[in-house]
Amino acid sequence: MKSEAQAWQPMLAPGKRRTRLWKVIWKYRYLYLLLLPGFIWYLVYRYMPMYGLIIAFKNFNFMKGIWGSPWVGWKHFEFLFSYPDFYRIVRNTLLLNIYELLFAFPMPLILALLLNEMRHMLFKRTIQTVVYFPHFLSWVVFGGIVIQLLSPNDGLVNQIRELFGLAPIHFMAESAYFRTIVITSHILKETGWGAIIYLAALTTIDPEQYEAATIDGATRWQKLFHITLPGIRNTIILLFILKIGTMLDYGFEQIFILYNPTVYDVGDVLSTYIYRIGLQGAQFSLTTAIGFFQSFIGLILIVTANHIARRFSDVSIW
Amino acid sequence: MSRRFNIGSFSIGTILTVFAILTFIPFYYVIMVSVSDPKLVQEGKLILWPRGFSLYTYELIISNAQFITAFTNTILRTTLGVLINLALQLTFAYSISKQYLPGRRFFIIYIIITMLFNGGIIPTYLIVRATGLIDTIWALVIPTAISTWNVILLRSFFENVPTDLEESAKIDGANDLVIFIRIYLPLSLASVATIGLFIAVMHWNTYMDAIIYINRQELQVLQTFLRDMVVQMEMAATLGDMSAVQETSSLSVRTAAIFLSVLPIVIVYPFLQKYFVKGVTLGAVKG
Repeated sequence: MKSEAQAWQPMLAPGKRRTRLWKVIWKYRYLYLLLLPGFIWYLVYRYMPMYGLIIAFKNFNFMKGIWGSPWVGWKHFEFLFSYPDFYRIVRNTLLLNIYELLFAFPMPLILALLLNEMRHMLFKRTIQTVVYFPHFLSWVVFGGIVIQLLSPNDGLVNQIRELFGLAPIHFMAESAYFRTIVITSHILKETGWGAIIYLAALTTIDPEQYEAATIDGATRWQKLFHITLPGIRNTIILLFILKIGTMLDYGFEQIFILYNPTVYDVGDVLSTYIYRIGLQGAQFSLTTAIGFFQSFIGLILIVTANHIARRFSDVSIW
Repeated sequence: MSRRFNIGSFSIGTILTVFAILTFIPFYYVIMVSVSDPKLVQEGKLILWPRGFSLYTYELIISNAQFITAFTNTILRTTLGVLINLALQLTFAYSISKQYLPGRRFFIIYIIITMLFNGGIIPTYLIVRATGLIDTIWALVIPTAISTWNVILLRSFFENVPTDLEESAKIDGANDLVIFIRIYLPLSLASVATIGLFIAVMHWNTYMDAIIYINRQELQVLQTFLRDMVVQMEMAATLGDMSAVQETSSLSVRTAAIFLSVLPIVIVYPFLQKYFVKGVTLGAVKG
């Protein structure tokens, strides 16, 4: 259809082309009508904020609005790159993501592989029902329970420590424990849910391959490395690309419930900082510059990861 | 060889059981504390099973006016959210599922771009403010009205519906609107219900938007109400002065509030579980 249009469009006078366009729109008017609300929504709540990013190059004030505020060029970015707080929050965000990638990212895969080895259906179902559940709890609830379990006064962990004659520790107020708590709580809450996608990928592997391997006398480990892992390789790469794209983004809802002023030095990430300093402290332009930096790096990361994945395998997210 | 096989299965079973217990302990602990005698909880007794069964804390929490307001607001935002999200996502997804629609590629790229790049917290806040939503229930519904993942998921669902139904309806003179409502919507009821359930859970659980867009006390949602309780408890712990915690937010009451807030999730969980494998794989593997 495209080539056909290209072939005869130049021959038409501009006026005729316009009537043709209207004819097309009229022909599909109901489909365009259905599209319209969503189109407008994206324009207002997704594209307008992108336009709003220009306040990173302005001194924003409410009276003058986004367009009317005076331009200041790269001032906010220059300030950021000489500002210790900025390095601290970037470092915190990156570290949490790196630890998540190292410790939490492989967990769903391991869980799926373990579940896949189980032949007892009822047992498998029960485990699945239990481990999927925390994903459906809010971070306020799950984080709140974690804080409670670790409370120095009446928390379960410290009560057990007490039984062994150990002094209580105020885990939530010690910077040294914060990252461990974040990653562990993430693992407990999301591993089960993350395993579903691997389990689905595992079902696409042809069972005959396993049967043939068993006849050839392959061990469990040999089957894992020669059949199972190659079979779900694409899914692993895909999830890895998506994870790389969010390396400068750590879940606001999780951090916001778990952190408190005593652990800001390790717990403050870009999003929580933008909220506190930007919205509560009314530093709109400065924190928009941080947000811009975050989105921009995120874009570069995901495009690069996708490019590399496409080069070395046949996986691509677009 | 068969002996080694059994040892392997046994250790895998053990690892899985331990992991399942670890994920379940937090929620189990909440239930046990919430039905225990508040006095024994207060004394710092170790609660591994209910001690001195009591539902007093549940009475206390459901007679708390703020809790009831928060609960009502959460129900309201969830209902509105599901309806608006579904309406916008279904209509958009349906249109871009039509291979023959001129401009289809443009609209798909138009939404994919927003997955790769976004304006961020502050500019989004300014737009939400400019559109007059701050401190209204709509601030919790409109800015998150479309999830591009869901649109892609629904699009691939609509694409897989055989086209002969549509073609015969067109011969009978039906327009696209009629075909969408009369043919496609009834066919997609199961998918719509699944996605609707996930949207409902999202609305029930999220609180970042309420933190950012809502200041008025009477618009507080369940999650911000619970968060205030947690923060108050933490402050008391940091100060080392548990007497600062009022009875209305003691450990027992908090666990009861948590359990009540999770109850609707527990009720829909069997339905969620039935469908989520389909939901997750459709969206992510196709990408």
